[in-house]
Order: sequence, then C-alpha cells, then structure tokens
Amino acid sequence: MDLKSAQIESTTPAVNPMAKQENRLAFFFLLPTLIILFGLVSYPSILAIIYSFSRKLVGGEASFVGLANYIELFKNSIFQKTVWNSVVYTFGSVTVKLFLGLGMALVLNQSFKFRNVFRGLLFLPWAIPSLTACLTWKLMYDANAGVFNYILFKIGLIKDFIYWLSDADIALYSVMALVIWKGTPFHGIMLLAGLQSIPDELYEAAEVDGASVFHKFLHITLPSLKDVIIIVYLLSSIWTFHSFQFVYVLTGGGPSHSTQIFPVLSYELGIANMRLGMGAAVSIISVPFIFILIILLTRKLIREE
Amino acid sequence: MTLTRQTKRRYQKAVTFIALGFFLIISLFPFYWMVSTSFKNSQEIYQIVQSLYPKKFVLDHYRYAVSNSMFPIYMRNSILVALVTTAISIFVSAFAAYSIVRIRFRGKAVVSRGIIFSYLIPPALLFIPLFRVVTMLGLYDSLLSLIVTYLTFATPFSTWMLIGYFRTVPKEIEEAAMIDGCSRVGALFRILFPLSLPGIAAVSLFVFTRCWNEFLYAMVFITDERNKTIPIGLQGLLLDDMYLWGELMAMSVLASIPPILIYIFGQKWVVGGFVAGGVKA
Repeated sequence: MDLKSAQIESTTPAVNPMAKQENRLAFFFLLPTLIILFGLVSYPSILAIIYSFSRKLVGGEASFVGLANYIELFKNSIFQKTVWNSVVYTFGSVTVKLFLGLGMALVLNQSFKFRNVFRGLLFLPWAIPSLTACLTWKLMYDANAGVFNYILFKIGLIKDFIYWLSDADIALYSVMALVIWKGTPFHGIMLLAGLQSIPDELYEAAEVDGASVFHKFLHITLPSLKDVIIIVYLLSSIWTFHSFQFVYVLTGGGPSHSTQIFPVLSYELGIANMRLGMGAAVSIISVPFIFILIILLTRKLIREE
Repeated sequence: MTLTRQTKRRYQKAVTFIALGFFLIISLFPFYWMVSTSFKNSQEIYQIVQSLYPKKFVLDHYRYAVSNSMFPIYMRNSILVALVTTAISIFVSAFAAYSIVRIRFRGKAVVSRGIIFSYLIPPALLFIPLFRVVTMLGLYDSLLSLIVTYLTFATPFSTWMLIGYFRTVPKEIEEAAMIDGCSRVGALFRILFPLSLPGIAAVSLFVFTRCWNEFLYAMVFITDERNKTIPIGLQGLLLDDMYLWGELMAMSVLASIPPILIYIFGQKWVVGGFVAGGVKA
C-alpha cells in the first residue's frame, strides 16, 4: 500500500485502453466491501453525529436540539468524572502494558530450552475470551470469597479485606489490573517480533567497542523498536479507550461512577436510559481525540507497507 | 570491577529466569483459578478460607452447564455467528484484497485508506447508530443482526491482512495462467487462493476468535435468551445477588476451549499473522 506507487499506478491507465475494464472489474470486486463500509460504517457514523444534535428516544422521532446534549454533558459532574477516568484508564493501562510487554519480549528473546512453550504460556491471557477473564477476576476480587484477599491476608500483608471493586478509591485500578493482564501479551508479541528483526551484527559490533548492557539497550534496541512501539501504543490506546466489557462486567461503572468510562457511559445513557441522542453525544465527544490517533496510525501503517 | 564473560552470562540467565517465573505466575494463576474453581464443591468456593486446590473434585458444575442451563444454546449461537461471519468476510475480502493488490484502478489509495480507517473505528462508537440501522432492517434480536454488524470489523480486518498475504505471492504465476487463457476470477481461485492458504487460514482464525469474544453488539442487539451468544449469556447470569460461581467457571472453561485450541494449533500462523499485518519484518 505504498502511496507513491498507488498514485503512479492510477495515472498510467490514461494511456492504457484496458483501464476502463480494469476500473470496472475492481469496482465489482470491491462492491460488497464498499456496501458494508458505506452502509454499516459511514452511514451510521453520520447518523451518530445527527443524533448527538437531537433529542431522540428509542422508538421516537428525532428532534433537532442543537448543542443541548453537549452542554448538558459538559455541565454534568458524572461526565467530567468519566473524562478523567477514561484518561487515567487508557494511558495508565497502555503505558504499563508497554513496559511489561517489553520485559516479556526481552525475556522471550533470549534463547533457552522450551522457549516456545513458555512463549505460548505467557501469551495465553490474550487468547481467552475477555468475558471469561472478567468473570474469573471478578471472583478473585470478591471481598469475601476472593482469593486475592485470602492470599494477602494469609501472608500478613493486610489485616482487613480489601474491597477491590466496591471501594471508590481503588476500583478503577482494580479494573486496570485486569486490562493490563489481558493486554500485555499483545504488546509482548509485537515487541518480540520487533526485537527479532534487529540484526545481531549491530549488537556484536557494539560489544567489540565495549558497550555495556544499558548502552546497547538505549542505543540499539530502543531506536530499532521505535516504529513498533508507536504502532502498538496507538492501537492499544484506541482499543483500550473503547473497551466496554471489563468495566461493565466488573463494576458496571460504579461505585459512584468511579470507574465510569466513555463507552460504558454511552451505553448507559443511550441504551439503558434509552436516550440515543445523549449516548451518541458521549461517543462523538471522544471522536476528535480518537480521530487524531486513528489518522496517525493509518498513516504509519500505510507507510509501513 | 569488570565481570568475566561467564559471570555476566550467568547473571543474565538468572535475571531471565526470575523474570520468566514472575511473568508465568502472573499470566497463569487466573487460569488455574478458573479451572480449579470449576471443579470445586460449592462450599469450598464461597468460604472465606479459600482452598488453593479442590479438596473435593466435583463435576456438578459441568453437568449443570451442559444439561441444566442455556449454555449449549449460547454455544450453538456463538458457533453459528462466528462461522458464518468468518466465511462471508473471507469471501468478500478476498475479492477486495485481490483488487488492491493485482488491479490498477483509480481511487485505489482512497479505498485502501478507507478500509484501514474503517477497521479502526471502534464498535463503541458505532453501536448506537447501528442499533437504529439494525432495527430499520428488521434484524433486531436475531443472530443475523450480529452477522451483519460483525462484518463491519471483520471485513476491513481480513482485507487488510489478506492484502499483506497476497502481496507475498509473485504475480508472474497468475500472469502466465492468464496468458494461457485463464480468466481473472479463475486466477484468483485456482492460483492465488491455494498459494496463500496459510494466510487465509490465519485470518480465518483471527476473525473467528474476534467474533467468538464479541460482547457489545451482542448486548445491544439481542435480548431473547435463546438468541444469546456465550459472552452475554454468561453475563446475564450475574443478575442475582448470589452468583453461581462454580457453574460460571465451568461455563467459562468450556467457552475458552475453542479459542485456546485455535491459539495452540494456529500459533505459528497467528504470530506470523501479527508480524505480516502489523510489523513489517
């Protein structure tokens, strides 16, 4: 998908008599995809924008209300909390995932016996359905019947049981722990692939010059991984920001909205409270920020090809 | 103080093994807990003094899951939706990927960009308007609504990945066949497809897994118990005050088996797939 060659390829058909046939063939081959993209992605996106400017209840007619939804949201303290939560939730989780993923990748890049088996085991959290991970962690976090409290109590680290999911001060971090556990393997896989593409000669040459481990890491490893890190960080941020299951299943957005994040708020307002206009407005507000990430990422991925 | 090479290497090995142990424990403990709870007698599950392993091994929860609950229906629905979505998206995206890789046409750059862009638009943004579209199409509360909406992320994704795989097949083979009179479609099915089968298999596995795990659309578009897929079926069992943890864990284990099997057997394809689609080696 090199932009330059695509442009060159699209200008030469002017001299090519087969160009019209080619264009038509491509159109037919692309038709199903285009129908899906226009009917189920573009059209709904526009609809979302329209709804955000309307008062629309499920089953009712949409009436234009201008910026009323947005104004109501910005003045609402729950919404303000949601913004802050989403920022902490997204950037906190993704950053930790990146560090842990890098650690995982560095470990798996060494050669040792049964490395492939261990690699398979370390990446397992990514393979299971998110819902089963959510249920398992919900059980482990249980205040009374949860194993986390039991183990911490047994080894003497805590005296009273911790209310992992019902204490408003720590609930968000509890959910983030699950998000990090589930998502680190993805970072690990990508960074490992990046590490494995670094030629050994670079390291060998540095060793000959007497470079220390830190020096090699800072001046060879990290710069070589720059592109992978950027792609992974952007992708992970988009996905994490919009992750719905973890918060919804573990806490439902509570307690006292301390774990409320954009997608869950959007669902609560739009579907649970049947105010589609408000739900859409919540989604749309997050768009400018996500848009920037998506555009940066699209550009980076196209350039990579 | 300079360490000898041997000491350095031993030190490095020790650090590696400690780190490996740390990651292993953290990655695997929840799995252990899920599986062991599914075999634990209910009393052991709910008491404050947790048993770190099932003192009494019971199969009751699995029996409940398989014969006393809606779980088999959830599973049937999940399999149906995932299989059909995967099949349709592979078929549709093969043609789209072929166009982008093998045909010269105007607007190719726009289309390529549009496809990647669409893949990155999160379901969490689209679910509200899609709710309206699904209702308009009369698909609300049907498995078809899921198949149709899952295509919104399955098709761009598989197109993007297939583009990467198709690119690795030299076009000379198809060109030779076309000189011999083979049609474009024929070349696609009889040459390109077979040669990129590993890639197609990898993409199918990815898409299947993605559909299997999907939660939000299923939540919004399905209400009838008989139409629920596994994720929302299980989540629906969390409504009462006292959760049936043993049963939930047994169902979770069963629900995790297909993706884990796919992961184990497709491992070389799956990891390779990430590399081809995401990181150019």
